[in-house]
Parts: sequence; C-alpha cells; structure tokens
Amino acid sequence: METATELATRLTGASRRKAWDVYSAFNWTASLEAGRWCMPPELISIYGTPAYEALGDEQKKRLSLFEIGNFFSLVLQGERPLVQGLVHRLYLNSSSREITEYLHHFVDEENKHMVMFGEFCNRYIGKVYPEKKIALAREYAKGEEEVAFFCKVMVVEELGDFYNVLIERDERVAPLVRELNRVHHIDEARHLAFGRLHLAELSARYLFEWPAETLAGFGAWLVEYLRASWGDYYNPTMYRDAGLADAYEVRQMAFAHPACAAHRQRASAKLVKYFVKTGLLAEEPLL
Amino acid sequence: MQELEVRGKLRDWIAKHAKKPLTAEFGDETPVLELGILSSLDVVEFVLFIEDLRGGDVDADDIGPDAFTNINTLYSAFFARS
Repeated sequence: METATELATRLTGASRRKAWDVYSAFNWTASLEAGRWCMPPELISIYGTPAYEALGDEQKKRLSLFEIGNFFSLVLQGERPLVQGLVHRLYLNSSSREITEYLHHFVDEENKHMVMFGEFCNRYIGKVYPEKKIALAREYAKGEEEVAFFCKVMVVEELGDFYNVLIERDERVAPLVRELNRVHHIDEARHLAFGRLHLAELSARYLFEWPAETLAGFGAWLVEYLRASWGDYYNPTMYRDAGLADAYEVRQMAFAHPACAAHRQRASAKLVKYFVKTGLLAEEPLL
Repeated sequence: MQELEVRGKLRDWIAKHAKKPLTAEFGDETPVLELGILSSLDVVEFVLFIEDLRGGDVDADDIGPDAFTNINTLYSAFFARS
C-alpha cells in the first residue's frame, strides 16, 4: 500500500503540472449574470422547509447569492487555521522531506483559494462572513492535537467538496460561480487524497495508545465539531442580508427540520464512513 | 431589554444546552467552560443566540475566550457596552 510519503511525491508532481495563477484565472465581471442561480436551489440551506417555499423565485435567487457568499466565506475561514497549521508542520523532524515539499504546494493552493473566495465575497456581497468559532486552550493526549488538526482539515474539505462538485456541474448556476467551484475541486481532490492517507496513518499510530476514555472523548468532540461545522451553513446574518425576516428563528427552524437533517446526513456520509473506518468514530452519528 | 432579563435569558440558554444538570449553586459567577457545563463548540451556537439577543453581529476577532467565563463576563462583554 502506498505511504503518505510516496503519495506526497506523486501529488507534488501533479501540483506542479496543474499550477495556476489566481490573479489571472478569472474574469471578474462588475456584476453576476442577472436571473441566474448562484447556488443550486437544492443546496440552499433552508431548501425543503416552509420558509423556502414561502419565497418567490426572485427571493430564492437572491438568497442563493448570499448562500454562495456564506459557503465561500466558511471555506475561507476554515482554510485560515488550516494554512497556519500546515505552515507550522513544515520542516518538522517527524515529517519526511517529501511531505514537507508537498505541504508547500498545499499551503500555496489554500492561499490561492482564500484569495479567490475573498475576492468573490468582497466584490459581490460586500464582505466575507466572519468566523464564530473561538479556540480555547486544552490538554491533549499524545498525538491527539495532530489527529484533531487533520480531522478539522477533512471536515472543511470533504463538506466543501460535496458542494463544489454539485455546483460545478449545475448549468443553472452563474458561470463564474461554477468556475470557482471547479478550480477548487481540482486542488481539493489532491488535498483530500493526502489528508485521508495521512490521517489514517496518524490514527493507526496513536489511537491504540490512547486510553478508552480518551478515544471516547475524542469521538464525542469530533461529532460536536461536525455539528458545529454544519451550523456555519445556517448563518442568520446571511438570511438577514438576503432580506429574510426573523433570521435567527429561520436558522433554528432549518437546523431542526427533517429535510435539512437528511441533507446533512447525505452530504456527510462519505466523511463519516471514513471516520468510522479509521476508528475515530465508533458509529455513524446523527447530524 | 433590562439587565435582569438579559441575564435570565443567558442563564436559560446555558441550562438548555448544559452538558450536565445545573446544580442549585449555579449563579452568575459559575465558570461555564471550566466546569464543562458548555464546550468550546457550544460557543459558536451561543454567539448566534447573543447576536439575536443584542440585535447585532458579534465580531469574534474582538472577543476573547475570557468573555465566556460566566454570566457576569458575558454580560460585560456583549451587553454592558451596547
């Protein structure tokens, strides 16, 4: 079986062959095409709820603009600590030279993603939605911080990629939005391949050393982290910006609605199966 | 909204989302994160509730973890200044 070091060598080659310039890759028009969706309606966070059905066609399309702005913002906000963490891991004695070499590309590509998402959000919705997570210091078991870091990487990237693929393919969506999702997906496919293998190796190295209590605690944290990450998709400020009344109540309603819960389960299925397979979760949780 | 009402709503939210039942000693000085009553990930949800309560966004860049120590610090950080 291929090791993370061998895979890193292969991915470095692919990153170099597919290198691109974020400052010339897109045609940033003054405004987006009128009358187009910015997010497929089925991916809008309140799709399938009475609040969605109560909207007219124009309102739904307006909401789709703020939904894609929120989606790009939350991916960008997830990539900020990811880049910090990756830079911190460059040239560690515990990492091979090949891994460090690939991490340089990983950082470079994540930086470009933040540039393009930031440009889109600032240009078309006038802001990047802020991060609401607040980091608190805590104690970790051996290897736990490393495992937690790569779990966070997988959560932001796997959930993001689920959306990237569906948006990229959808002909109802504005071409520029599709293009950003397409470009992101191509880079993320490599990041995910590396992340999956590297996290599996970390899990195999550390999990059996942890006491049962630590492993159970980690699983509980991971489920909570997944739920909190999904919470970012139901942003009251985004609803308010799109002109919806009672934005906080809309969020609470949508998060609890069975149609939205079913969507979260579907979108998380691949990621959750991976976490169960690697032993990070004991069973598939309800999200 | 009056201070007592705000404090009551904060207390109710904490009670509803507490990881363990609140004891009779629970008060505005009780450390909610340190005692594991709330987790750091509950803070995300709590911030959205606070934004709704105060009628405006919270800039997480301006707020440190200390703001979430107890009800007194929450009130000072998010409501006393507004």
